[in-house]
This record gives sequence, structure tokens and C-alpha cells, in this order.
Amino acid sequence: MNVLIPHSWLLDYIKTDAKPADIANALSLHAFSCEKIIKSEDGDSLFEIEITPNRGDALSVLGIARELKAVLPRQGFKAEWIEQRALKVSEGTTDKLEVVITDPTLVPRFSAVVLDNIKIAQSPTLTHQRLLKVGTRALNNVIDVTNYMMFDKGQPMHAFDYDKIGGHKMIVRESKAGEEVITLDSVKRVLPAGVIVIEDGDGRLIDLCGIMGAKNSEVDENTKKVLLFVQEYDPQRIRKASMSLGHRTEAALRFEKGIDTAGILPALWEAVEMLQQTAAARVSSPLIDIVNVSKPEKMVAFDYARINYVAGIEIDKKTAEQSLMDLGFVIRDGKVLVPSWRYDDIDIAEDLAEEVIRLYGYYKLPNTLLSTPIPLTSASPSFYWEDRIKDMLKNLGFFEIYTTSMTTKKLAGSDPVEIANPLNEDLTSLKTSLLPQLKEVMDKNQGYSDKIKLFELASTYHKVSGTLPAQPLRLALVTKGLDYLNVKGIVEAIYAEMRITGFSQVEIKDYGKNVYGVELPFEEMVLLAKNTGTYTPVTHFNAIKEDMTFEVKGTEYYADIILKIKSVDSRNEKIEFKDLYKNALTLSFEFLDRNKQITSEDTKTIRENIVGMLAKEFGITLKK
Amino acid sequence: MDLSSLSLAKNEIKEELKTADSLAAIENLRVKFLGKNGVLKRLTAELASLSVEDKKQVGLVINEIKQEVETGLALATEQLSTQHKADSLEDFVKTLPGKKPEIGHLHVTTQAIREIVEVFKPLGFTRVRHPEIDWEYYAFEALNIPATHPARDEWETFFIDAPVDPKMSRQVITPHTSNGQIREMLKGDLPIRMLNISRCGRRQSDISHNPTFFQFEGLVVDKGINISHLKGVLNYFAKNFYGPDRQIRLRPYDFRFTEPSFEIDISCGICGGVGCKLCKGGWLELGGAGMVHPNVLIAGGVDPTQYSGFAFGWGVERVYMMKSGTRIDDIRHLLGNDLKFLEQF
Ligand SMILES: [Zn+2]
Repeated sequence: MNVLIPHSWLLDYIKTDAKPADIANALSLHAFSCEKIIKSEDGDSLFEIEITPNRGDALSVLGIARELKAVLPRQGFKAEWIEQRALKVSEGTTDKLEVVITDPTLVPRFSAVVLDNIKIAQSPTLTHQRLLKVGTRALNNVIDVTNYMMFDKGQPMHAFDYDKIGGHKMIVRESKAGEEVITLDSVKRVLPAGVIVIEDGDGRLIDLCGIMGAKNSEVDENTKKVLLFVQEYDPQRIRKASMSLGHRTEAALRFEKGIDTAGILPALWEAVEMLQQTAAARVSSPLIDIVNVSKPEKMVAFDYARINYVAGIEIDKKTAEQSLMDLGFVIRDGKVLVPSWRYDDIDIAEDLAEEVIRLYGYYKLPNTLLSTPIPLTSASPSFYWEDRIKDMLKNLGFFEIYTTSMTTKKLAGSDPVEIANPLNEDLTSLKTSLLPQLKEVMDKNQGYSDKIKLFELASTYHKVSGTLPAQPLRLALVTKGLDYLNVKGIVEAIYAEMRITGFSQVEIKDYGKNVYGVELPFEEMVLLAKNTGTYTPVTHFNAIKEDMTFEVKGTEYYADIILKIKSVDSRNEKIEFKDLYKNALTLSFEFLDRNKQITSEDTKTIRENIVGMLAKEFGITLKK
Repeated sequence: MDLSSLSLAKNEIKEELKTADSLAAIENLRVKFLGKNGVLKRLTAELASLSVEDKKQVGLVINEIKQEVETGLALATEQLSTQHKADSLEDFVKTLPGKKPEIGHLHVTTQAIREIVEVFKPLGFTRVRHPEIDWEYYAFEALNIPATHPARDEWETFFIDAPVDPKMSRQVITPHTSNGQIREMLKGDLPIRMLNISRCGRRQSDISHNPTFFQFEGLVVDKGINISHLKGVLNYFAKNFYGPDRQIRLRPYDFRFTEPSFEIDISCGICGGVGCKLCKGGWLELGGAGMVHPNVLIAGGVDPTQYSGFAFGWGVERVYMMKSGTRIDDIRHLLGNDLKFLEQF
């Protein structure tokens, strides 16, 4: 996700001689892509930075400043850290909050404090301006502080009107399906089960935790007491709730990436101090701080050899250690202590290698081509045939089409593999045949030309009980403006190109209006295909060619006729179908004797034998 | 002027008439012989100085010559114009477009895949294909992507409505070609230089995403593989696919199955890396890459203390659209199947 970080705000944390452009460049080279520098009206520079999902710690001014402290010196700039004062605020005793947490995994840490004497007013100008720069409207001095601290420290906060919390009691629990809550934006939200919510002593839901507060407990102009609330929630539950409610708030986006547990109390005290200054707040309760999930110190082995192995060059050990220290790691007895804000992100030696090498600079590593021996693997013959048949069809005037693997139930065919979570109604099922979608493409392009030829070579998907679907490659053709025998001829030419003989009859679908479609089992065809021919010696004797037309009845099988003719004489070198007009079947013959020059006397005899056989076997007569 | 010189002139004129090979030449001859200051006018003028007898004789010959010239010119004109008709038709035919044989069109995606394969082939990469519908185990678990990771939830990945396997978990439409990493390693042959190109699916549809798209996945597993090899191979690809003047840049990124992980950028071909409207500060994102995570090697049955590797998985259509020249502005055209779009490639 992208964040907006004002340059002037960063200077709260860091003193540097780097200009905004230098900062953007150093970030992009060593840490995060700075996609834009936006100039604000008052001349400030706003960095738009893309933060990777593992770096929730960097979704704040503090987080980016911490990163700059480490990366700016690598580009030759000064980066002096401005120490933040540790705040100490005395706690009160008058107000209390009863807290019930039904499941400790919901809230790894629950922190809150009550403030009284609140005077609602506008925030100071600086707060206003800073919130505006990061894209948030100022509301009042209490709510603004909670928003300000989220952008400043990466700690989302919430302020309740303490007097609106029934019985001053909170029950943190998971929602039941169908429960309703009206959030601060006045939208009624119907909850699925499993959303983290807070119920007050009157049985009302007063918070959609980590996403947005409820209207019934909001801070308004009459608020006198505030419950300031800083939590750590279970990231998975927050993401799930926020996604299923379609409500992606700044708070939710931060909670679901995980927040720095150790940063909760400092942020809380700083917020209290701001409220003391701007809203005359006084702490009126003890600090409530419930730690449900403890995070022990995390140490990762410092493997210097591994760092150099991964980098492919040697990085000076001191440089490596300094890099880690600048990023907040502590090196202790050959091990590295992970800072609290990187707790979930750093686990193994490779993680540390990444930190060291990115600070060193990926751009400084050499480009090396592989020099080890090429593996002895051979490619599947399928790729060869896919290329060859695609080229063939292209050169026969076909358009290659790619359709989606998912389609409507109607087009998918019978008993298709179904998608459990389709994107929309048009993509619910996986196709069992390529033809329906290819035919649809034909229909869509009707007006393109009188003659259109389309093909698609892709997988179809078929249920197999107990395991993955079968996903065979198939080849489909759909044509318009070609007659049946042309289409059949193309299919035969494909088989001939792959040197496949004796294939079973394929069904050519007649869609009417001169549109035909056919689907071939390409994967099986590849298994039968041969890319070399078998040599038959070429004879120097000439063949005699001649056409003969017969009257057929239409009840015969063409293949039977040809087979029988071939068996009449071995000198029937070639017999080809030429034409069928009404019941007149014209065949082209090529007579060849491989041992001597064939004569017209020879062919006369052969011809008579053929005619005689056809009359006897089929009752077919030669047309005069 | 006498009769003999006149008959000589008559013969010359006859010969000259035969040389007329164009309408313009005929017109020139007409002016020369019959014009205001033409030969015949001059001869007629000269008649005045002759005797009455001679006048008569010479006058007859001049008339003969005049007639001969007129018929000669008419004949030549007619001949030329019919001859010209035949000529111009032949010329016109030559201006007509040829009758093209029907040449079809391979889809942009096929062309892109072929170009990609050609670049990696000389580096010893072999093309493979692994299941498009695969187990969650190969697509996520073995790639070090935990069950809680957002990529594994129902908003990002398509799941198949099928019983869950106790070991392999759910069936998914692979959201990336990286399932091929595990399946390739499990074949048990090392070293590996794999180029896995396959159809993938993700639950998204906008101007730069189709719910189904193609990815190409490179995987190298060998002894001593480090980041400089990843840089070397991807730099080779960028220069061969996009042009020798293009540069690549690695930015830190986060993928669960690689450590370290990178986003690879290529210098913008439009502004040459200075920064323009089409790029981000002179750079365009190509896609992700990284050093194979040790957990992934282990899941593939490879010993991470002996072997290391790198991997990258990029969108075929995306990478191709970034070639200057294609100018395809919306990736959804690619599956729109409008022949008027497809005929342009
Ligand atoms: Zn540019």
C-alpha cells in the first residue's frame, strides 16, 4: 500500500542535509519505491511511497524516518536522529473501566486510559495542516489526535465518549452472524460471524474493532470524558472482517499488517500529552494495559559467510554490522536482536542478508551470467507441435483466439469443474470444451468477413474423482464460409502434418449458416506425432494419371470403395477424391509400375478390373 | 521550286509521318506541315512566282501532299489512340493491389511467449508446463506462504469447488506459475534452469489485470548461485527483449518464497530514464524476483546447504505491452477477441 509522508514532518525525527529528491532516491535504491514527490501549497514535499506488505512498521512518519536514518548515510548524507523525550504522565483514580476479553488471541494487547475535563475545540493549525497533507480532514481536537498519532507513529487509536459506554464496561468478543452496528460514517453494517467487536454494559455494540468506531459512543461537541484506546488486534481477523464488509479503513490496513506492540504505550502517552495541551484533558483513571500475547526477545544468528554467499561478493564485516545497527538491530554475542517493530518480519539468516545487502546497494552488485554446465533436460515435444500447428493454421488464414478458462455454466459444458468463489456470474465454471466460447467469438465477429477461420489451442478441464481435474490440451477450429469438405480437409491436413495415420473419425459440428466447428484431442495427437517421414525410393518411371467418374448410390462407404480399389492391383499408386456432383463421384488415379514403365495397355487392363470389381461388389457403374 | 524537289519533299513528309509515336508528336507534325507558318503554306506562297502552267501542276502536287499529310496524321492518331487504350489498361492493372493469399494471425500472447522463450533458450533454460489447476500445497504451502497470508484468502485466489485433500489442501487456479518451482524440484534432477509458462488466474479485472493471464517463471537451482547471477540473467533478458540501451534496477520487495526478494524495474524507453508521465521517475516495474527461500528448497527436496537458486515470475502480457511499439493501452483487449484488434498483430 502507498503512504504519503510530508518532508517537514520527517524533520521532527531526523536532521539531514539531503534534499527531498535525494531522500526519494535513497529510499528507492535501498528500501521502498518512492513513486512521486508531490509539492504542497506551502512548498512542502510529500513523498508517495509504496510500502511492501511485510513492512507495516513503515506505514508512518516514524517508520520512514527510522529507515532514512539507515539509508541516507549510504548515499553520503548526514542523518542525525532527534531523540524523542520519554513521557511520564501521572495516572488518575476516579474513573474505571471493566474489561472482559472472551478470547485472548483477539487482542494481543489492550491499552486504554480515561481522560476527563475535556474541552472540545478545533485543533491547532499545525495538526490541521499535517492531517490535510496526508489526506485526512480535521474534525475536532480529540479525534484529530487519534488520527494524527496513526500517521505519525503507525498506531491507530480510537476515542470513545466515556459517558456513552454503558456501565463503563467492555466485552471484547467475536460477532455473531447478523449482528448490526452503525459506524461513525452513519452506515448500518450487518456483520458476519467472527468480527472483533466490543459490547458495552447495556448489551450494545460500541466498536467495530480495528476498522471503525460505532456512532453510539462517538465523541461529540458535548463530550466531557474520553476513553483513549490503543490496541493490537489479531491481523487475520481484521483483514477478514474488513474485506468481507468491504470497508478498508486506514486503521484496518495498518492493523492487518501488524503493529509494533512496544510502540503502544509511548504513543498512548504522547496522545495524552497532546490532549492535555489542546483539550485541557486530565488523566482520571489508572492505565489499563492487558498483555494477552507476550513477545519474548527474538534473536537471529548473524551468519556473515551467508551474507557474502547470497551477495556473491564480500561485504566488509564492519559495514555489515553497522548496517544492521543503523536499522535498529542490536548485535550481541554473534547474534542479532530483532527490534520490536520488525518482530514478525525477520526470522532467518537470509532475512538479515537482505537487510545488509540492500543497504550496501543492489545496484553495486555485478551482473554475472551463469557459468555452470547447462542441465541435460529435453523439452516436451508438445511445444514443438504447438508451434508448428499454430504456424500452419495461421498460414491457412486462421485467427488464433485466446478465451478465458472460466466461463458461464451454460458454455462450460456438462458437469464442469466449478469455482467456489467466482469473480462474477460470467466466470463460474471451467470449460470442458473449447468450442462453445470459440463459437461465441465467431458470432461476435459475424460482420468481419464472409469467410472467417478461428482456432484456439488450450486446456479443457474435467472432473476426476479424488484428485486434480484432468487438464488436456485441445485444438478447436470454428469456420464460417467454408463448406463441410473444406473443414474436413483442414483437419486431415493437420493429421498429415503430424504424420498421424489411422486416427478415429472426428465429429465436425454443423452450427448452420455455413458455420462448422471441430475439436481435436491435441495432447493425444502429440503422442502419435512423428516429425520425420519414412523414405520410399523414388522411381524414375512415369506414372499415368487419369480421372474416372462413377455413379454411386449413396449407401456405400467411401473408405470401403477405396480399400477395395487398392486391392485390385498393386499398381494403383494413388487414388484421390476429386469431386462429387449429384451421384457422380470422380476419382483421380495414378498408375505406376515400380519395375518398368507402365503402358496404356497396362492401365486399360487395370481400369477394366476396377470397373468390373466395383460393379460386382457395390453395383457401382462407370459413368459414360 | 520544281517538281522533282517537291516529290522529294513529299517522300520526306511521308517518312516523317511514320515516326509519330505519340499524340504530341502528331500535333507537332500537324503544326509543322499544316500550321500558319507550315511547310504547305510556304509552298503555296511560293506558287505566286511560278508561270501559270507550272502553277497548275505544282498546285496539284501541293494538294496531293496536303491530303496525304491529313490522312497520314488521322491514321497515326487513330492507331496511337487504340494502341494507347491497350497500354493504359495494362498499366492500370499494375496499380491494383495484389491478390493476397489468406494469412492469418497468431495471438499477441503467443507471439510474446515465443519471443520470451527465444531470449532464454541460449542461456540453457528449458520450457516446461505444470498444472493450471493445482493443489494449494504446491501453489502456497510449499512456497512458504502460510494459511493466514492474504494471497490465500477467497478475495485474491480462485478456489475450486471440490473436496479438500487432507495433505494437499484445496484445489486452486494457480495465481502464479510458482507452483512449477516445487514440482520441478521434486522431479529430482539438479541443476535446474526452468522456464515455466502457463495460464494463471486471480480474482481481479481492470485495465491492467485480466482474471486469466499468462506468467513466465524462471527458476535456477545450482551450486553457488547468488544475486549477481539473478542480475546477470535478468539484465540479459531486458537488453535482448527491450533493447541494448535499457537498464534494470533491483528494489527491495517482499515475497514469501524468496529471500531476499526484489521488484525489478527497467529504465523507461520513452524518456530514457529521466522521468516522464508514463513511468515512475524514469523506471517501469517489470515484476518480482528473488533468491529461492531455504524453506522452498527444502519443500522441493533440495538441500539448501548445498544448493541455492533464484526465481522470477512475470506477466507475459504485461512484459510484452511494455515494449514500446505495441501501444496496447488496456490489457482486456487481449481477451476481447475482436478480430479487428487481433488482425493488427
Ligand atoms: Zn519515462
